Amino acid sequence: MSFGVQFVHAKPGRTWTVVLSWSLFVLGLGLYFQTAQRRHQGNPEDRVMPTISQMAHGMYDAALKPAEDDDQPLAGNASLARRFLGSMLWKDTVATSRRFLISMLLLIPAVVLGLHMGLFPYVGVFFMRFFLFFDKIVALSLLPILFIAFGIDELSKIMLIVIGVTPTIILDTVNLTRSVPGEQIVKAFTLGAHDFDVAYRVVLRQIAPRVLNSLRLNLKSVMLFLFAGEMIASTDGLAYRIALLRRHMGMDVIIPYVLWVALLLFLVDLTMRVLNRKLHPWFHET
Amino acid sequence: MALIRIEDISVAYGSPSRLVLDGISLSIENGEFVCLLGQTGCGKSTLLRLVLGSEKPTSGRVLIDGIEHHQPDRTRGYVPQKYSLFPDRTVLDNITFGPEVAEFNLLTRFTARYFRRRRQFRQEAMQYIRRIGLREADAKKYPDQLSGGMQQRVAIAQSLITRPQILLMDEAFSALDPGTRKDMQLLIRQLWRDTGITVLFVTHNTQEALYLGTRVIVLAKESSDQGSHVALDLAVPAPGHADQVPRLVSRLEHASGCMREPEDVALATA
Repeated sequence: MSFGVQFVHAKPGRTWTVVLSWSLFVLGLGLYFQTAQRRHQGNPEDRVMPTISQMAHGMYDAALKPAEDDDQPLAGNASLARRFLGSMLWKDTVATSRRFLISMLLLIPAVVLGLHMGLFPYVGVFFMRFFLFFDKIVALSLLPILFIAFGIDELSKIMLIVIGVTPTIILDTVNLTRSVPGEQIVKAFTLGAHDFDVAYRVVLRQIAPRVLNSLRLNLKSVMLFLFAGEMIASTDGLAYRIALLRRHMGMDVIIPYVLWVALLLFLVDLTMRVLNRKLHPWFHET
Repeated sequence: MALIRIEDISVAYGSPSRLVLDGISLSIENGEFVCLLGQTGCGKSTLLRLVLGSEKPTSGRVLIDGIEHHQPDRTRGYVPQKYSLFPDRTVLDNITFGPEVAEFNLLTRFTARYFRRRRQFRQEAMQYIRRIGLREADAKKYPDQLSGGMQQRVAIAQSLITRPQILLMDEAFSALDPGTRKDMQLLIRQLWRDTGITVLFVTHNTQEALYLGTRVIVLAKESSDQGSHVALDLAVPAPGHADQVPRLVSRLEHASGCMREPEDVALATA
């Protein structure tokens, strides 16, 4: 007989799950605002921990006021959507998203190369050693070289992302390709498939959901390199704004920007997850 | 001329190299149902892969219809024990994969003719689905929604629809429970009789080999450091001679276990 509390076999009920899973959020927010309140009582000019109203005011300016001072001020009766589309937040988001999307598109050739390396031994032999070496280069250490070689405009920032993430994606795809059971490939040949049928109609289809998951896991790296590039050399973008506002101690905008970035990344990840499930109903994550 | 000619095949693996098959010569006629029998590790699956062309012998050669094949192709269908179906395709798409891939490459797959032909492929696949004892509703299922036996039924249909000359089955029923296994044996015997295809069936189960085959070939090695050779090549008598079966079982098991024999004898005389 045992009266002990169960740990491994415990099954938290619905209420407990909700309460416990949200409690750290509540605790964090509570501590922040309590501390902010106290600091503002001591010094009403405090800029380190802005209150809710300050952040709301900062975001109102960022999201609904024209981006540049010399822009035509919109008529007072302009719709909310139009005002948002002319705002600093929107322009930064568009600039960052553009770089992000181009980088993600440039990862597709990496997947195709990885597939060929994993399936065709000669292609594998040709590229494998090089990419294993390439993978070990710290991409950020190449940033100065990229700036010198490609200038400080868009190209160098996108190259940084591509150089930083491509080897990981390639090597991951190679591993996924090699994990496809040999029986499947032999079977396809016995049914009359040729080499490229096997590559694209058997292997790629099978590893597609796992490749998508691998891209999802690498979203953080993509964003990391993107933000590094934007913070160091850029004239727009979300990370540029955060770096710029640091000089003015603009925490009232920085904090909402950080949360906005997190929200965007979460939505991208969610979209990819839903897409994965819709496109590959046969796939069950293990 | 024999359909499959295996000429003095030897296979060695690893370094220092270890002999798996040692000087095997066989010839298999069109329409035979050959069961390859042997204990685990005797190289019976290796021999099957040599016929399949997914593996190359260290010496010797395999001729199919007088020609040496260097990789698997449409002349030989294949049903392995595991991973026999494409998990990303429905039952119907698994069965139509062969006809589709044979007629259309990656680009012609986007022509209007492809979509017309695909309808015909699907009709033919539905006939196969009924023939192997599946319901029409199963056509839309993915392999992991089917039981192991159903999966192997689909795998057989998938292979047969491209009309290969030879069907190679590697322990195809070994992961199934006894009842399902019996049904599968009935099915494959039926399909073999109907199509007149040549079957090479690898198994470690003596009863199964005797029930299915018209010919049973036993591979065995004399001692653990030697390669396997053909220990017994037996024509199975017609089903009327059921009284011979127990004697044949003991003969086959004796042949496949000949590596252990000296110890057994030693124990018996002690």
